[in-house]
Amino acid sequence: MFISYSIVNPLTLVRVPRRLPRPGEVLYRAGDSVEPAHIVAQAVDPPDFRIVDVARELDVPVKRVKNMLKVKEGATLKRGDVLAARGSFGGPVCRSPIEGVLVGSGRGRLLIEAEPGAIQLSALVPGRVVETWPEEGVMIETVGAHIQAIWGNGKEAFGVLRVVVRAPRHPIRPKHIDPSLQGVILVGGSRIDEETLEHAIEAQVRGIIVGGVPPSLVPLLETLEFPVVCTEGLGVTPMSKAIFDLLRSLDGREAALCGRMQLRWGEERPYIVVPMPAQSGDPINPEEPLRVGGKVRILRGPYFGTSGTVVDIPPGMVQLETGARLPGVEVDIGKETTLVPYINLERLL
Amino acid sequence: MAEQIIESILVADCGSVVTKLLLLERVEDNYRFVAQTETLTTLNPPWSDVSVGVIHAIEDLEAITGRVLYTRGRLITPRMSIEGVDAFVVILSAPEPLRLVIAGLVREMSLESARRAASGTYTNVLATLLREGSLRSPQETWARIVRDTRPDAVLLVGGVDGGASRPVMELADAIALASSMLPENERPAILYAGNARLRSAVTKLLGDIAPVEVADNVHPTTSTEHLGPAQALLEQHYVEKRLQQTPGVDTLSSWNRLPLLPTATAFSDVVDYLWHREHNEDRGVLGVDIGAATTTVAATFAGRPYVSIYERGIAYGPLAWVKRHGIDALLRWIPEEMDPDELLVMLHNRELRPWTVPQEPRELWVEQAVAREMLRSALRIAIPTWDTGGAQIQAGMMPGLDPILISGGGMVHMPRPGQALLVVLDGLQPVGISTILLDINRAAPALGAVARIKPVAAASALEGGALVSLGTVISPVGKAPRPGDVVLQMSIIYEDGGELDVEARYGELEIWPLLPGQRATLKIKPLRRFDVGLGPGRGGKIEAIGGLVGLVVDVRGRPLSLPKDPDQRRRLLNGWIWDVGG
Repeated sequence: MFISYSIVNPLTLVRVPRRLPRPGEVLYRAGDSVEPAHIVAQAVDPPDFRIVDVARELDVPVKRVKNMLKVKEGATLKRGDVLAARGSFGGPVCRSPIEGVLVGSGRGRLLIEAEPGAIQLSALVPGRVVETWPEEGVMIETVGAHIQAIWGNGKEAFGVLRVVVRAPRHPIRPKHIDPSLQGVILVGGSRIDEETLEHAIEAQVRGIIVGGVPPSLVPLLETLEFPVVCTEGLGVTPMSKAIFDLLRSLDGREAALCGRMQLRWGEERPYIVVPMPAQSGDPINPEEPLRVGGKVRILRGPYFGTSGTVVDIPPGMVQLETGARLPGVEVDIGKETTLVPYINLERLL
Repeated sequence: MAEQIIESILVADCGSVVTKLLLLERVEDNYRFVAQTETLTTLNPPWSDVSVGVIHAIEDLEAITGRVLYTRGRLITPRMSIEGVDAFVVILSAPEPLRLVIAGLVREMSLESARRAASGTYTNVLATLLREGSLRSPQETWARIVRDTRPDAVLLVGGVDGGASRPVMELADAIALASSMLPENERPAILYAGNARLRSAVTKLLGDIAPVEVADNVHPTTSTEHLGPAQALLEQHYVEKRLQQTPGVDTLSSWNRLPLLPTATAFSDVVDYLWHREHNEDRGVLGVDIGAATTTVAATFAGRPYVSIYERGIAYGPLAWVKRHGIDALLRWIPEEMDPDELLVMLHNRELRPWTVPQEPRELWVEQAVAREMLRSALRIAIPTWDTGGAQIQAGMMPGLDPILISGGGMVHMPRPGQALLVVLDGLQPVGISTILLDINRAAPALGAVARIKPVAAASALEGGALVSLGTVISPVGKAPRPGDVVLQMSIIYEDGGELDVEARYGELEIWPLLPGQRATLKIKPLRRFDVGLGPGRGGKIEAIGGLVGLVVDVRGRPLSLPKDPDQRRRLLNGWIWDVGG
């Protein structure tokens, strides 16, 4: 069977899809080079609108409204502009509740639409556009380090990575944060707490990467302007050693950090991409079978989040502590080995 | 034209997390599952193609059976000599549910009916439009909701036939306005199942803006509900807008001409078959399928099938459920001390990795707590749609159900059969006498699909061991003054002549030996007017067949209540776990 995987790779060909949340216009073509800040696609947000019930406001029958209108369809309106009036000077009037355009009328009512907002989608990573999807977005290809995370707060940024702890089990603490970290992406070990987060906000960091965050912090993280990404999951958990070691080797380099995620129907995972000057890298093969010597991460049980190496693929079943028996492998996690069912493993590619 | 000989059927069951392949073959005069494989569903990137997982699972099946099934980029069907299969069926629950907005007049009447109609297929109700409270400009609010949620369809109901027209037309007007503000290809389909007199007016108003389809009124009079036609319309939309549009489904469809089936529909067919097999007018048949993303409840009473889909399952949904019901509602089922944060962390991580299974007991207790509550919530939606007729034993309780079929990854992954049984008893709280069947290979929906092309094959596989009995459960209902009071006496007369006289005490869960396949005659004598489905205080003689757990008498009370004191509660839960075999 397919075994799930996460990409944790120091040098690979990375394809980054960039899609608008709603149909819009794609601004680049296949073959174009892009930088992180380039706007590759844009769309308009649905405009705010109001229905003004003139007949009710002026207390007149619907059929009389037409004669009382002071504006025509297509008219540009300011807030407070008179839309209709009953009687002569001094009589009751009906005013526009918003700034916008009168787009429709009927049955004694007017429809006013405000100026639509704009959605702009940046490239986020430097690279080359290799594919475009009309009205949707582009696929950007680059070469560099690629790490797939598991949870993110929906925001994204490009900045310099700075590892601020010494080991994957160490949380980021207030003492790790100082004004020199303005504009950088902090890399911690296990987690971050609310107090430390406040220091990070004050220091104007550009993003945070940790192993996990407590679920109680999630509502606050979702309100932040910058990305926070967890590599392991929710809860207090050390960052996988494989990921921590790779991030430490990339300390000081510029990285794209994307915290967007969608669990189902077009799954999106948060990621970290660190572009490299190399001209080429091998693409990841997600169907690569699990072999002895392969790197894996454990997803459930007492070793949740621990990465290791497959040392044996025994025939038959593995007995779990729950009593269940499932096919699995033996994984070397450093000081010991443990039996893990396939279904609770992911390959690190 | 001669009927095609079907001796081998391959079923692909594409779930939201796992894709399963089951190979059913004729073995002498019977049909049996000869092999099955499963893999992760490949609907998400990097594959974004459901057929990739199916092909992968076919290759695994070839390795297991040593047979060639797939060549030159397609499944070999019909069979050629010993290669390939005679028929190939696809059932799906993987696609996104139909995104639906419901609009109606009265929450307790037409809107409630609309919601029940929507639960008959895979839908996600995004919003409800209703004139309620003091909305200053309801039409503006409604229009904004429709425009911003961008549903696939709006189900508009309201008014009894020949009744109110203006409020329904106001809703239709708002929907028209919102639809007109959306690009043409994003406009929702309008499904009208309200006051029949307004069909032409609604179609006239909305027809130029969006596609309109009509069905019979879901609430034609103040006292009647009529869900069938609206449910059929919604299912048709789900099949057209979701199943047929699923990436990769075109590849699978090109291998055969059989229609795609929603998994819940196929599962409902099996439950319906079981009712017709038993044909007991005094009993219903119930099936529950707890998947990763949904919980399906299918039931048949007096030959009439019902299906409800609760849009939460064992992995996706418990977090949202906790937001609504509170963490304590889950914690109360955990037999060890557990911090609420630890439980929340497990739920979060389960949702992030929905294919994983519990590895240690604490994770297992959480999984089972979730299963219990998903069952309870799913039942709350399903029960109001049932006309239980003569199957109702006592008002406000479950009707008499026999058998009860349990399916889905959330149940069959439980390591011990007793644990699965306990979850079912706690979640469903059956009354009367029921046989609990476990769909151990998660084959029931597949058999429902098979039944559409070869009913005899499905029936043969069902009778031939596809379903495993966990046991016969007797759940007397009534009240006794004190826990420990004897409320039922029973003689178990085994087929080898052995006899065992037993008593069941109020508040307890009793298990007596009755091995799988073993038959026994039970002479039941309820005391204190307790009812086992034969009438208050009435006993009788029944035939029972054993199961993996045995013969169970559940006198813990209906509704089941747990002690408030955490220590006392945990002791009780551990006692029950011990009773059913750990």
